[in-house]
Amino acid sequence: MPASIPRYLLKTAQRLPEKVAIVSRERSVTFGDLLQEALATAQCLRELGLARGDRVGICMEKTVDQAVAILGVLFANGVVVPILPRLKGPNIRHIIDNSGMSAMITDTDRLSEVTEFAGVTRLITGHGPVTNEWPNLPYMRRFVQPLNSFDRIGNDNAAIIYSSGSTGRPKGILIAHRNLAEGADIVAEYLGTVEDDRIGCMLSFNFDYGMNQLWQTIRFGCTLILHELALPNDLFAMMARERVTALPVMPVFLTKMFDRRLKVDTSRFDFSSVRYVCSTGGRLSADMIADMRSAFPAAQIYSMFGLTEAFRGTYLPPDKLDAFPTSVGRAVPDCEVLVLDDKGDECAPNVVGELVQRGATLTKNYSTDPENTAKTFRQHSRFPGETLVFSGDKVYKDDNGFIYFVARADDMIKTKGFRVSPTEVETEVLRHPEVVEAVAFAVPNISVGEDVACAYTSSDGKPLAETVLKQFLKSQLPNHMVPAILLHFDSFPILGNAGKHDRKTIKQQSYDRLGIAPGVQGG
Amino acid sequence: MSDIIAVLVEYIRSETGFTGPLSADDDLLSAGVLDSFNIVSLAMFAQERFGVELEGEDLVRDNLAKLSALAALIELRRAEQA
Repeated sequence: MPASIPRYLLKTAQRLPEKVAIVSRERSVTFGDLLQEALATAQCLRELGLARGDRVGICMEKTVDQAVAILGVLFANGVVVPILPRLKGPNIRHIIDNSGMSAMITDTDRLSEVTEFAGVTRLITGHGPVTNEWPNLPYMRRFVQPLNSFDRIGNDNAAIIYSSGSTGRPKGILIAHRNLAEGADIVAEYLGTVEDDRIGCMLSFNFDYGMNQLWQTIRFGCTLILHELALPNDLFAMMARERVTALPVMPVFLTKMFDRRLKVDTSRFDFSSVRYVCSTGGRLSADMIADMRSAFPAAQIYSMFGLTEAFRGTYLPPDKLDAFPTSVGRAVPDCEVLVLDDKGDECAPNVVGELVQRGATLTKNYSTDPENTAKTFRQHSRFPGETLVFSGDKVYKDDNGFIYFVARADDMIKTKGFRVSPTEVETEVLRHPEVVEAVAFAVPNISVGEDVACAYTSSDGKPLAETVLKQFLKSQLPNHMVPAILLHFDSFPILGNAGKHDRKTIKQQSYDRLGIAPGVQGG
Repeated sequence: MSDIIAVLVEYIRSETGFTGPLSADDDLLSAGVLDSFNIVSLAMFAQERFGVELEGEDLVRDNLAKLSALAALIELRRAEQA
């Protein structure tokens, strides 16, 4: 079948019209209805003036309506631009401007957060009650004749996902329809996804990992159960009630799920239905693996790795987890992962080089950043005419071909499942009137991946009251970007005579003060 | 019970930096005031501050996301454990 999610949905809705596709707290939807709502949404968007290739922001809570909005934009030949709810003004503004967004679909009860952008982009509500001011998709869908065609090809643009970089603002990664569709097939191949799967979805549709759960559901006719993880007992009750078979997680979810303070007794629940747990976005600790095994005795555990530029790179087959617990595994199907030295030659086993990926999961480019595109999306003489992704990440392969992560290319802080740019943290810390200089960096903390830490100097040379500074930052930054650790320095060491902060020494001195060993990094 | 709620409100404001209106019947998770990390901190704070012990079954969204529900639970457990 030609590879695109709309085609997959057309097929599955024909085959399984009455089967439940998505379950949420508010409502459930069958494949037949999901298709009809998506087509009606596409027609609404047409009537609202959306043109082919227009970028449409989706800033919504995870609901059936969010999935419908995403699919509606795809059917309308638009390009989906996910916007994480509760991002603050400047971050959203950057995504609107940078993507050239034509319209933003949001929740009615989120309008107060986003109306400041009403002059910059059109607002449409995709979930919640009708308002006087903005068009409302659930209401409009009742009156339109659903669109009945899809005329995009696999190479056409489907989505732009914004990912933080260590310098400057987040970059938009341009993704083709083909990437989304083949991502569903590739992941399903190694996880063995089948129609009977019931996927427990704690993940957000704002990132490729969460979206992929929706794509697999559509491709194979599974059932997707939406859940917002807050307290583990609620998750476990849902999993047992819904007979969940598949649980995609990130390490930070495992930390929350097995938080000892919450006195969860997983033996109270029947989890015999759970056939796998898969995880990406950081290393799995031995405790996490032990907790998963004890809670879900029938489940296989898949540890995976990838960068958004190429969606997914590697996975570790579950039967290798005990023998190679620190490896990120081998290339996913239909992709090849190479370890190359500075000259572009393949490294010998156990020699560290750059992770370079080729294959079906590769996205197109950074949509508005030719300079960084040229650095990352490049050709290699061994594969003429083909583009490869040069990750910059340092890895090696062992004698068995298993890949190990050594160091990331950038200074990005991976915390609670997010990538946080040190520059963006520093910018906000510097806004405080008494802060003079700021340097942000990662501090290892396996329960959340890494903590955001920030060293700073002050105008009177004295430390600021931590609660005051944190309070200030909380009003400026989404929670995951607020530094967990703030360290006052009398002055910063300077690099040579260039006047630049010696970030390495600042980080090292901070590590010394915190009493931690350097060089611990996750995948 | 309003005393308990006042203490919880003060804690949430200092923990989250949230300055908007807080009603005891708002679902603070849905409203985005609390996230999955600080709702756990709130539960830990409440147990320590009011000297009650909450069991695993108590620590669910229905009991913690609304301050009215949490305050009622604290009163109930405090009476039992007194």
